Amino acid sequence: MSGSQIFESRRAGRAGDDSSRRSPRTLRGRLRRGLLLVIGLLYVASVPWYRESDAPLVLFLGLPDWVAVALGCYIAVALLNAWAWGLTEFSDEDPPS
Amino acid sequence: MTPGSETGGLDFGSVGTVALILYAVVLIAVAEIARRARRDASPADHFLAGRDLGAFVLFLTLYATAYSGNSLLGYPGRAYQSGFAFIMATGFMMSIVVVFHALVPKLRPAARRGGYITPGDWIRDRFEGQPGARALRLSVGALMSVALLNFLLAQLKAMGLVTSHITGGAIPFWVGVVGLAALILFYETRGGMRAVAWTDAAQGVLMVLGLAALLGWILDEAGGLAGITESVAAVRPAAVAVPAAHTNVNWFSTIVLLGLASVVYPQAIQRIYAARDARALRRSLALMSFMPLATTLIVTLIGIAAIGQVDSLAGVRSDEVMPEMLVRWGQAGTLESLLAVLVFLAALAAIMSTADSCLLSLGSLLARDLLGGASAAERTTRWGKQAAAVFLLAMIPLALFEEITLWRLIELKLELLVQCVPAFLLALHWPRLRARGTLLGLWVGLAWGVGFTLAGVPQIEGVHVGVIGLGLNGAVAVGASILETRGGALARA
Repeated sequence: MSGSQIFESRRAGRAGDDSSRRSPRTLRGRLRRGLLLVIGLLYVASVPWYRESDAPLVLFLGLPDWVAVALGCYIAVALLNAWAWGLTEFSDEDPPS
Repeated sequence: MTPGSETGGLDFGSVGTVALILYAVVLIAVAEIARRARRDASPADHFLAGRDLGAFVLFLTLYATAYSGNSLLGYPGRAYQSGFAFIMATGFMMSIVVVFHALVPKLRPAARRGGYITPGDWIRDRFEGQPGARALRLSVGALMSVALLNFLLAQLKAMGLVTSHITGGAIPFWVGVVGLAALILFYETRGGMRAVAWTDAAQGVLMVLGLAALLGWILDEAGGLAGITESVAAVRPAAVAVPAAHTNVNWFSTIVLLGLASVVYPQAIQRIYAARDARALRRSLALMSFMPLATTLIVTLIGIAAIGQVDSLAGVRSDEVMPEMLVRWGQAGTLESLLAVLVFLAALAAIMSTADSCLLSLGSLLARDLLGGASAAERTTRWGKQAAAVFLLAMIPLALFEEITLWRLIELKLELLVQCVPAFLLALHWPRLRARGTLLGLWVGLAWGVGFTLAGVPQIEGVHVGVIGLGLNGAVAVGASILETRGGALARA
């Protein structure tokens, strides 16, 4: 097996008919990609670049509010990422010849 | 705490020494069981446990390997210095499991079909027959070996530190380094990946229990999260303030650096190869998503809580913040003393489990990618064991005498490793990537990153020089590959 065969099997998959695009497998793939996009956005929101650095200290659940936002984002990332792994499909089988 | 100091009628140092001895006995026993479970002396059996790690053991070995002495000692020290901004650590540790989405679904099937053992096997397979493929494999192997040696050095230093604290100074730093290094070498050589994974599993459980106890103590001691925040705000207001723009840029940069560099850790890649099946790997990685909340967040809170005691901790080196906090906890009474010993053992478990994984990967890289070929012979396994032993012995004097903080060691390692990313992530997703272009990009990125680091410039405007070097690396790799492909097409025409 050569690593370049990965790309060949991928191209073969793309050449399939339109009905395969609506298969549960494709929907899972789309949902997974959507989850990864949301995870990316959560990472952007987790860093307090949009806050003034001299803002007064406000506590939320015992933490500075900007820390609570970051932590909330990371908890959401953990949940969504675990879900995305549940939707990830890859095979240990040999590719079709 | 001085040797033999008593807490509520309990001698902390003696309890720690007994616990340490029991811990070592358990590791030796597990290694012996693993040795008896081996099927043959092939590299696949020694370095990948016969490619048969199930979800539970795989998860615990991934966990114990990913969370090291750096995480349990370096991160609290960094949080102590940076304040709440170091909450970024929870995010960047989580980013590793996110970036694995770009690696695992493509690398794992290729590894299964190709029978890979080391990261270099992917390079050999992917760039087979292309000019520059061998030089690329050797360069990636050498870079990963240097990064592993750096990682190993950090673990050795941390082992000595924790041993001297857990025994109340009865076992000095140097004996801790030498003794535990010998223990790792013993069980890694005897049982290979199976022994490493099984001891990692035991150590992973210990880490979870120890950190859970620690979290309970911090919240109780400080009067909850609000108590921690208020005490920190009173002592050091900057530690609770919204970070400045420079820190925010550094936050993004660290997420990128850690997320990308950590997925090409050789020991992590080899665990992808060693999984029994795709299901076990998926489940392990799903569980791993939550571990930064159960580990990094807790050790970050420890470092932040220590700020509230800044006066009494003055003069303590950043790497010693965590041990110092544990020793103080242990002084509160008998139960606290026992729990503090449990957390010390958990920290030691984290360190040992990372060190053994580094050593095993280092042996396989040296034997298969740098010294040997793709042979499945017993000779490769033997070379791997011998090479690992030689390099471990060479690291010990550095661990004893080199003055460098654990956090700086983490950054140095990552800036080297991150330059290997195009050879994996780009090569997996872009068929036109060529070996020569990847090699050129790697050396450009490396020259940039190492040059600035040696010049004492680790960051530019908050961005790690390694991340900028990776950008250059990727651009050169893509540009040179396109030029090579077009040149080849023109020549054929």
